[in-house]
Amino acid sequence: MDLAIIEKIFAIVGGIIVFLVAVIAFWNDRKSVGIDNHVFKLMLVLLAVGAALAFFAAVGLLGNFPKAA
Amino acid sequence: MAVATLPHAQTADHGEVDRLYAETRDLRLNGFLLFLVSDVVLFSSFIFAYLYMRNTGQGWPPPGINRLDVAFAALNSVVLFGSGATMHYALENWKHGNFGRYAGLMVATIVLGAMFLCGQGYEYTTLYFREHVSWAGSGIFGASFFTLTGMHGFHVFVGVWYLTVLLLQSVHGVYTKQKYFGLTAGTLYWHFVDVIWVVLFSIFYLI
Amino acid sequence: MTVAAVHGGGIADHIHPEPQSFIRRYIFSIDHKIIGIQYIITGFVFLVLSGMLAELIRVQLMHANGGLVSNDTYNEIYSVHGSAMVWLVIIPLVTGGFGNFVMPLQIGARDVAFPWLNMLSFWMFPVAGLMLFSSFLIGAPVAGWTEYPPMSLQAGPGTSMWCAAIFLIGVSSTLTGINFLVTILKMRAPGMTFTRMPLFVWAQLATAPLSMVATTALAAALAALFIERQFGVPFYDPTKGGSPILWQHMFWFYSHPAVYIMILPAFGIISEVLPTFSRKPIFGYKMIAFSSVAIALAGFMVWAHHMFTSGLAPFLQLPFMILTFVIGVPTGIKIFSWMATLWGGKIHFTSSMLFAIGFLALFTFGGITGILLAAVPFDFHVHGTYFVVAHFHYVLVGGSLMGIFAGTYYWFPKMTGRLMNEFWGRLHFWLFFIGFNGTFLPMHWLGILGMPRRVPVYDPQFQGWNQFESIMSFVMTLGILIFFANLLVSIRNGKKGGANPWNARTLEWQIPSPPHYYNFKNIPAVYALPYDFSEPLPYTGLENELTDSPAPATAGAH
Repeated sequence: MDLAIIEKIFAIVGGIIVFLVAVIAFWNDRKSVGIDNHVFKLMLVLLAVGAALAFFAAVGLLGNFPKAA
Repeated sequence: MAVATLPHAQTADHGEVDRLYAETRDLRLNGFLLFLVSDVVLFSSFIFAYLYMRNTGQGWPPPGINRLDVAFAALNSVVLFGSGATMHYALENWKHGNFGRYAGLMVATIVLGAMFLCGQGYEYTTLYFREHVSWAGSGIFGASFFTLTGMHGFHVFVGVWYLTVLLLQSVHGVYTKQKYFGLTAGTLYWHFVDVIWVVLFSIFYLI
Repeated sequence: MTVAAVHGGGIADHIHPEPQSFIRRYIFSIDHKIIGIQYIITGFVFLVLSGMLAELIRVQLMHANGGLVSNDTYNEIYSVHGSAMVWLVIIPLVTGGFGNFVMPLQIGARDVAFPWLNMLSFWMFPVAGLMLFSSFLIGAPVAGWTEYPPMSLQAGPGTSMWCAAIFLIGVSSTLTGINFLVTILKMRAPGMTFTRMPLFVWAQLATAPLSMVATTALAAALAALFIERQFGVPFYDPTKGGSPILWQHMFWFYSHPAVYIMILPAFGIISEVLPTFSRKPIFGYKMIAFSSVAIALAGFMVWAHHMFTSGLAPFLQLPFMILTFVIGVPTGIKIFSWMATLWGGKIHFTSSMLFAIGFLALFTFGGITGILLAAVPFDFHVHGTYFVVAHFHYVLVGGSLMGIFAGTYYWFPKMTGRLMNEFWGRLHFWLFFIGFNGTFLPMHWLGILGMPRRVPVYDPQFQGWNQFESIMSFVMTLGILIFFANLLVSIRNGKKGGANPWNARTLEWQIPSPPHYYNFKNIPAVYALPYDFSEPLPYTGLENELTDSPAPATAGAH
């Protein structure tokens, strides 16, 4: 089970970092114009959501199902 | 005649970039975004198929198959999402003329993408050899899981090579500080690959 | 402000020299006009091929006991006939063919947004067609053009070939959709706002996202069918946990929008032909334009009305039925607008106009039987009978194909500089119209009486009407043969038409026939709708088009 704990620690730390980076990048870009930048901002928001999901999955709040028999 | 300027008036504000480039870039950007939209539809159709089969009443995962390993998938997802962040800053650095940091972040993106692929390969081999779950031999679970993640993995694989080519091109001076649409397209593609994974990760591992 | 100043240095000023070698000029051309004509020629070739399959079907059904071909061969024939007519004839002709040739001219552009992509899209089309027809060599698909599992899973290797061919033509269609969408959104002439676009362009604008989105969904369904057949990965096989209904959902999520891919551009053709030959502004321009978009949007929400008898839950049947009825509203708006356009007009009964008026009658009839089929109780009664066959032939042949004929007579002078023969054109119309109704009208009551579709032999009580249908189908075929003869003769020997033989007002008629490689000497500016026949033309910058003034400067090879 050691491996699973290490995996989770990396996922938690990485998830926080990516979430913060994505949010900061979104905030820095918030006033940019042009369809490409609008798409980038949408993608960054979804990226932050993804990082948050990975974080919650790693801490056990999401996708934490009892083992099947 | 004032009306004569209407549809083409939107291409202003490109500074020293010439008009031909600005208009061509506009067309290519829209075309590329529409290509990504059609790719989203492709994934959506398979996702619909997966959700439809999942709800045919035999429970999920189907009898005899264990749940997927969430912890490892979370780590692997963070790797891919991290590559999205580095890609974003690579393009930002290019826009500001910071070539060294651009190149470093591009390399980081490519390495993280390759790491994601390795992680997926590890996951596949674990499933196949330890849990005996295969594409054709495990009913609709194997069919939907390997088809969708495999299709996404193929997109990542293509993306890794795509970004490598872009990096080599930019080293050889194909792009300038003003004319770099190829890099924008690469960034859009890579973000798209990331965001598709957000959805796939949620529907395969979290519900 | 001059037009040149608006465009200084942009794409419109960047004209490549016309390629001189035969191959680059006529085979691997990137010119939208050549590509459009290539689409039309290839589409007509496939029309002849799958028309021959249709005649085989009709000959087989001359006798209640069949006897011409074996039952398996009969299955192959109608499956390939349906697939080829939908994917290799109607869709490429109305989008790739007329869309490519006419749409950039009508919006005042020099080409589509991505000419190379356009060439690629075209060349996928004959390859896909050859793949589909060569599947006869290895056992063609036998489950009809819809290829429902489990039958399509059990059929011979030709079905995998079918998947690959349709996938390929789907990719071509998707790329064309992207190309046209960007072209229409970004490359219109100065002053051509959305509400000044010709209605054919509106129809293409509504069709392009359909071909882009719906066809990609079909690609997913086809890919799944292909990998299930080739690698045994279960998607549709119920014995392995898959669901045959899943295929029906995925297939109809494409194929219902696909019927609008086939009919909306035909609507656009009719909307150009009717005002031109009534010498009257189109009635309800905005209503026609916006109803195309409404049909395109609603078309995505009605797919399950093909599946009422597949075990669809009753609480889903009702919304799908009502939404399908709702599509009748924008369609009816179009029909009434067209009739109001004819009302009080100075009607010229050219061949093109005859087909447009025939379209109105036949499409309305097919539309009404469509509403009947959307009603769940009635659909339970006639599903899988000849009533369905009659319905979709009225909308696809009486609708789309009549639109294609109208468009061919209308734009042939623009493509070649010569007119098609009017006498033979009218004969074509009357033979086709009478033959068509004789073939497909009796199918309505045969279907209500219970004659099932897709059967090589049938109850002897239906034999009389079936013989009548078969004979009338020969009349229809004779009409089409006359059309092709007329077409081939007119290319060389037709009467010279000049730039604008119909006195039409859209942009493509204001330049020489056939147009120059670069389309326009100067990109015109547009300041009103093209349909007001009492006003002067709403364009500036076209003064030099029909004079001997020099061609615009080219950008040089690079």
